[in-house]
Amino acid sequence: MIHENILRYRGGRYAWWALGLIALSALIYATQGGRQQPGGGTWQGYALGTLGALLIVWLTLLGMRKRRYRSNLGSVQGWTSAHVWLGLALVVVATLHCAARFGWNVHTLAYVLMCAVILSGIFGLYVYLATPRQLAANSDGRSRAALFAELFDLDRKGRELAKVCDPGVNVAVKSSIERTAIGGGVWRQLLAVDDSLFMRADSVADAGAAALVSNADQQGVIDQVAQRVPQAAKRAEAGNLQALIVVLCRRQAVLRRIRRDIQLQGWLRLWLYIHVPLTFALLAALIVHIMSTFMYW
Amino acid sequence: MDVLLRQLRQAADGALEYQDTEVTADSLSVGAAADCTIQLLGEGVAAHHATLRGRRAQLSIACHRGCKALINGVASASATLKIGDLIEIGGHSLRLVEPPAGFDIAIEIEPNAQVATSQYERAFRTDLSATWLSKRGAAWFLAVLVLAAGLLIPYGSIPLQRAGRSLPAFVPSDQVWTAGPLIPAHQLAAGRSCGSCHQQVFVHVRDAACRECHKSTADHVATAQLAQTRLGPPQRCAQCHQEHHAASSGLIVRDDQLCIDCHAKSDSRFGALKVTPVTGFSRTEHPAFTVTLIKPASALSASGQMDWVARREPVASAREQSNLNFSHAQHLDPARVTRQSDSRALGCADCHTLAVDGEHFIPVTMQRSCASCHELTFDPAAPDRQLPHGKPRDAILLIQDYYARQAVDPHPTTSVVQRRRLPDQTVEEETACSGPALGCAMRRAQAEIDNQFKTKGCASCHNVTDTHSNEVLDRFLVAPVRLTRDYFPDVHFSHRAHAVQNDKSGDGACLACHAVQKSTSSADLFIPNLGKCLECHSERLTKERVALQCSDCHSYHPKTIIARTGEADVQ
Repeated sequence: MIHENILRYRGGRYAWWALGLIALSALIYATQGGRQQPGGGTWQGYALGTLGALLIVWLTLLGMRKRRYRSNLGSVQGWTSAHVWLGLALVVVATLHCAARFGWNVHTLAYVLMCAVILSGIFGLYVYLATPRQLAANSDGRSRAALFAELFDLDRKGRELAKVCDPGVNVAVKSSIERTAIGGGVWRQLLAVDDSLFMRADSVADAGAAALVSNADQQGVIDQVAQRVPQAAKRAEAGNLQALIVVLCRRQAVLRRIRRDIQLQGWLRLWLYIHVPLTFALLAALIVHIMSTFMYW
Repeated sequence: MDVLLRQLRQAADGALEYQDTEVTADSLSVGAAADCTIQLLGEGVAAHHATLRGRRAQLSIACHRGCKALINGVASASATLKIGDLIEIGGHSLRLVEPPAGFDIAIEIEPNAQVATSQYERAFRTDLSATWLSKRGAAWFLAVLVLAAGLLIPYGSIPLQRAGRSLPAFVPSDQVWTAGPLIPAHQLAAGRSCGSCHQQVFVHVRDAACRECHKSTADHVATAQLAQTRLGPPQRCAQCHQEHHAASSGLIVRDDQLCIDCHAKSDSRFGALKVTPVTGFSRTEHPAFTVTLIKPASALSASGQMDWVARREPVASAREQSNLNFSHAQHLDPARVTRQSDSRALGCADCHTLAVDGEHFIPVTMQRSCASCHELTFDPAAPDRQLPHGKPRDAILLIQDYYARQAVDPHPTTSVVQRRRLPDQTVEEETACSGPALGCAMRRAQAEIDNQFKTKGCASCHNVTDTHSNEVLDRFLVAPVRLTRDYFPDVHFSHRAHAVQNDKSGDGACLACHAVQKSTSSADLFIPNLGKCLECHSERLTKERVALQCSDCHSYHPKTIIARTGEADVQ
């Protein structure tokens, strides 16, 4: 799979490229000194700055390349491997460019944004390497669509079974299906928050006193239906209730997988919501950095 | 209201099947969510897509925000419905039909057969893209924010600042472009206004901006002389003095390479200017020293004046021409000269006093350095009468007045006698004068004047020319004395730092470099040459040598611009 050999693409070819880039930058940096202090203002500083700026633009182009499926400019896999390794090398190039001199200015802003982009990229790399295994283990080979199809089917079965049960059970099961919460906002997805509800009727006669209560992990409704089994007046009713419990438990299992899948996919994609906007902020800061340097040079 | 929902399904044999559901509710919700009265799946169906409200005659549909439905083929967000109307949402058809008895409303639902139950996911927000998180929006926001706060607003603030308008503290000014702190002095002078130095955008800081404050800083080479070279235009101030670097390291570039870059090739690049190549600090790399001596530029004029000129000459062959007769050997010989105060031999500091700068010496003058021993008395009988120094005419008049007064004094303390020096005898013979008293006095005065200007007194130290004029005031011309005060006007040298060196201090330290002990002539030059410096110094720090950089002795910006032809204005 792609995520397993991004770093080792073609024997870690781009790791060597990155090392070469670092060595070249260090060599350029080392020729500084004497008359001028190391920094962005020496010819070496300009050379390293140009190298860094070109690298940033090229690294950004990955986003464009991966959307161009017809491109012949190398495989997306190769580009991604180079993106990771050369992106990491960029920290060294930029630090040598500025000679590690920082201040409260637009130049350091560009550096900080660059570091933030790279750090978010490192986090992204981590989740790309770690999450797919967890995703596969969770879904057991089934796609999310299949899980939802199963859920829909279980919903229908649950409703039909509940209809023939006593009104309390019917209300509880119907409400638990209607009030099943999946996903939602950012934190609900990422933390797999389950604020499902159901309407609990304490007794058949007292259905009017029903109240919406938490049905986290569907346990509430399962417990409620299970409690009714011993009270079943007829064998057929008990059978219905037991069939209902089986459906609800299968539903519980499917919902667990769905929530975990949403959570893992969320973390797998979250870093891009930081990485991409910060990249564009970095490009803007790079323009500001270069422009201001030449406006007041 | 009581609603009949009739779901149409195509059975396996092609026949239509009905599945009726009865609902009693105030409103009917339509959407993909499980709690919708009419649950429809598929693309184009939101979790909660629309709501049907009203009664039979006034039934209306209102789609939720961002949703639409096709009402009789026309996309609409809301509509009033009548019997027979067709509502299409995501390929599903809902038709309002005539309700059977007992129902207010009846709806036939024909689901979209293409939609699989896996589309149920659309009823939920299961992807971050469905939340408020937005890559594109955030990217635009951040990029515009950075461009505005980092470039556009600061750029817009420049004309306001130049117009003297002060900006509120929260408005980013061009200060955000600073590449680093200024040195404290510049921070104090111009730290709040970038435009003090950066007067034009996209233009390097110009020397004129520097010179607005640094008015007295001299150029390394005079412009007229630079034109004789192949060095090209002078460098901008800021090429060496780079601001916004670490404030602690200052602005002065001390790297030897700065000097050597030009001076190593001085024979080829300096054109008509005669500049000896320098590549380092050793006998082979650095030229021998040349001193700047102040020398007579003309003969003595009839009024006793001379023109002077500063000449650069190699230390090895240079001779002083100060017009002073002085023997260091004689003054340092304790058998001949001792200090009045303690009768010990004279030391260097008895005559030479280091100035406060630690580099130069307070000029040696008659009054300051010689007068304590060398009184200008002329008559042993009148030890309190001294001749004025530096004013030969006044001295002659004083001698004449002195003897005239004695001749006419009715109560002389001493008689006016003619002193006559006999050949080969130090004893003067005194003979009585006969004739008019004034005549006697003038003859006596003339004898003393001759004595002072030809034999002793003035003639001891000064070059006196006898013009043989009949007019006594014009007869003797004393050549003026000019002692060179600064032998290396463009070089730093701290005498104070060298007052203690190796195992020597005091006069020992002075004499280690200035070997004056055996000098009997004031033409001798005691300035040490390069070799003397190299005894203790070298280009790089070693165990035996103290490192010296070019800038330890030389200034890029000279105190005076030495004309490279070898002469300079006399200071």
